[in-house]
Amino acid sequence: MTPRASTFSDASIGEQTGLVSELVAHCGSDGALIAVQSTKDGIPTVWIKRQHLRDVLRYVKSELPRPFPMLFDLSATDERLRRNHDGLPIGTFTVFYHLFSFDRNQSLRIKVALDGESLSLPSSIDLWPNADWYEREIFDMFGIRFEGHPFLRRLLMPSWWEGYPLRKDHPSRATEVGLFQLPPDKLVMAQDALQFKPEEWGLPRTYHDRDSDFDYMFINLGPAHTGTHGVLRLVAQLAGEEIVNIVPDIGFHHRSQEKIAERQTWHTFIPYTDRIDYLQGVLNEMPYCLAVERLAGITVPPRAQVIRVMMSEFYRIASHLVWYGTFAADVGALSPVFYMFNDRERILSIVEAVCGGRMHPNWFRIGGVARDLPIGWDQLVRQFIDWFPERLDDYERLVMDNPILKQRTVGIGVLSLEDAIAWGATGPMLRACGLPWDLRKVRPYSGYEQFDFEVPTASNGDCYDRAVVHMLELRQSLRIIRQCLDSMPSGPYTSLHPLATPPLKQHTMQDIETLINHFVGVSWGPVLPPGEAEVSTESSKGQTSYYLTSDGSQFSYRTRIRTPSFAHIQMVPLMAKGELLSDLLAVLGSVDYVLSDVDR
Amino acid sequence: MTEWRNGRLEGVRVTEGGDGPLSTVIGQSVLFAKLQDLLAWGRKNSLWPLNFGLSCCFVEMATSFTSVYDVARFGAEVARGSPRQADVLVVSGTVFLKVAPVIKQLYEQMLEPRWVISMGSCSNSGGMFDAYSVVQGVDKFIPVDVYMPGCPPPPHAFMECLLLLQSMVGSERRPLSVHFGPQDVQRPIMPSMRDAKRAERMGQREYPSIDVLPRTDLLSPHFAGQPDGRPKGKL
Repeated sequence: MTPRASTFSDASIGEQTGLVSELVAHCGSDGALIAVQSTKDGIPTVWIKRQHLRDVLRYVKSELPRPFPMLFDLSATDERLRRNHDGLPIGTFTVFYHLFSFDRNQSLRIKVALDGESLSLPSSIDLWPNADWYEREIFDMFGIRFEGHPFLRRLLMPSWWEGYPLRKDHPSRATEVGLFQLPPDKLVMAQDALQFKPEEWGLPRTYHDRDSDFDYMFINLGPAHTGTHGVLRLVAQLAGEEIVNIVPDIGFHHRSQEKIAERQTWHTFIPYTDRIDYLQGVLNEMPYCLAVERLAGITVPPRAQVIRVMMSEFYRIASHLVWYGTFAADVGALSPVFYMFNDRERILSIVEAVCGGRMHPNWFRIGGVARDLPIGWDQLVRQFIDWFPERLDDYERLVMDNPILKQRTVGIGVLSLEDAIAWGATGPMLRACGLPWDLRKVRPYSGYEQFDFEVPTASNGDCYDRAVVHMLELRQSLRIIRQCLDSMPSGPYTSLHPLATPPLKQHTMQDIETLINHFVGVSWGPVLPPGEAEVSTESSKGQTSYYLTSDGSQFSYRTRIRTPSFAHIQMVPLMAKGELLSDLLAVLGSVDYVLSDVDR
Repeated sequence: MTEWRNGRLEGVRVTEGGDGPLSTVIGQSVLFAKLQDLLAWGRKNSLWPLNFGLSCCFVEMATSFTSVYDVARFGAEVARGSPRQADVLVVSGTVFLKVAPVIKQLYEQMLEPRWVISMGSCSNSGGMFDAYSVVQGVDKFIPVDVYMPGCPPPPHAFMECLLLLQSMVGSERRPLSVHFGPQDVQRPIMPSMRDAKRAERMGQREYPSIDVLPRTDLLSPHFAGQPDGRPKGKL
């Protein structure tokens, strides 16, 4: 088996020019389209005039043949310190829309330049409902206003925060702004700011009708609640026991990862990616390293690719096991979690033998992996994959066939495929609605096209079906690991490219050039050529994407991290409306999310 | 001869029931101890943690509740959802600016006596997240009894810190009533683990090669003794 370099298929390049020419034909004449940008990732990127934004978005969403029904990502960049303009119409801020078409299997990036005078754009919440949180995040982080957004207020930072963190003039470090203190008056102020006022969210307190007249009950869950799996806060509006609406409050886990990425070197940001979704270890490193390698033009050797795939699948199993156990616990089955954590422990012992770490392996490197597999790794892996299938059979009987679990999850939290696409669902959430969409299959990366596996789906999109998809994926991951074990290629575990970091020691002592290269790469960090690259991968919870902008230095100019949990938590009100309060925990449990993945 | 040593009552042999002369029966089933000591012994062996987690560390904390590690052995498996029923607040993860008032309120809702374990680098000092949204250490607004290094600390580190806290709680002496006796809490001076372990660490001369695989069978009995990789028994 010889996996190819991790590039997308060449066929998509022909498709791109087709898409750009379609756009030029539609909006080139009235001057809406200002520029076409070439990026390292090959995603068609067009710059649109601000006043034509709505027209173009509406066109690509509904009028274009084979349209773009999904708003995959939406964020902004502060361009004020940008050195390499590359002839582009860059203003002080850029807002970019990342759209996705399933029919075309293609992404489209639409950029709008803003200048300092009028930091506002029309809201696109009527086109894509999930623009809601993305626009609030931009307002929170950059101070860009969206006209027509009903609840444009801070999303991640507390409401009393001053300043816009992702602007270049905002301090990055806590140690730059003085010691944190929590005197009583500040505590009272912060607690007051957390008070939920239904009027602020357009929710009535009472219900009047010809036949009935009652008060709604507002119940607060979290941020310290045992059922929310972390510091998530939900306020539910109830009519009796029925959920009328839910207002999620996030940002209690905002670690400012995107800001940190602007001060870490390309190499030293890798450990931070581990902590984006702390259950899935190297699955976070995969899109980041692929994007950096795309920028640098590095080809990863086959052995490193297969090692990456194998460890990714181990982490996928580990993450799914935590989800499996806690999901069962959420609907009342307390024993499965003990079995599943035992299995996870067994995986972590293999991970520890290979990577040295448990939850945060810090294992991928720019151009490969940190070191070769240890002697005897194959025995450990074989022992596990021979042992695990029978456990899965047991779990199927223990959890999936359990009549109580079925009663609590079948037909609960139903999500239609149209809603799933409109709200940006990916991963098991999307596949549970019946769409066999798995990036490992449809846009293979890191040599996934060499592996034989299936994409499990379900049809109803309810809580039980999401569990079915997770459970079947465990078996497919096991299948991939077995293929990695049987056909692990030989060869180097990291690239010999000059930008691969850190370089292999035996190649550094050749002459002064290699010595300098090693010294600079390790101490100062590699300098990546200017450009942009975005790579999406299939992580355990959905599509994770890293959109890196290099300005030709050893730091990233802007790192946008699109995470699946953010999109999925935004959908919880949609899924839970009309259900009973007790079903809310079944819905939350079935949505595979991690708070660090939501808030970053 | 019975005595308290390291927070434990030693030299007592309690047998079930009893026969023989009255003096023997009483000797076997009656325990004489100071009430203060008995209470400290009880507190020490039933430290109930608050079921509250912040980030990655909480997963490792939860792992220590499951059967491979099993903190039930130390009487600390009763995770309480309400702060009013909990004894220990384990700050397991990054302390965010937005969640700091919540942690403060949870701490204030806990009843005395209460203790705080700061789990992981983030909670100790902010760790690798020196960032605008992160408080650089939970001790900026609540007192901490045990600091646990690691990112995240593995479950056995959690258990070691739990035992350290137990030894502290076992040797604390608290007033029995507001009406009589001294009202102050006598706290032991706990040794610095850095100093206590320094000699051993500095004396270490041999390190295992990275290529020597760890013994996975040490983790759990059901991992062990399966050269063919088959499970020992079905569920």
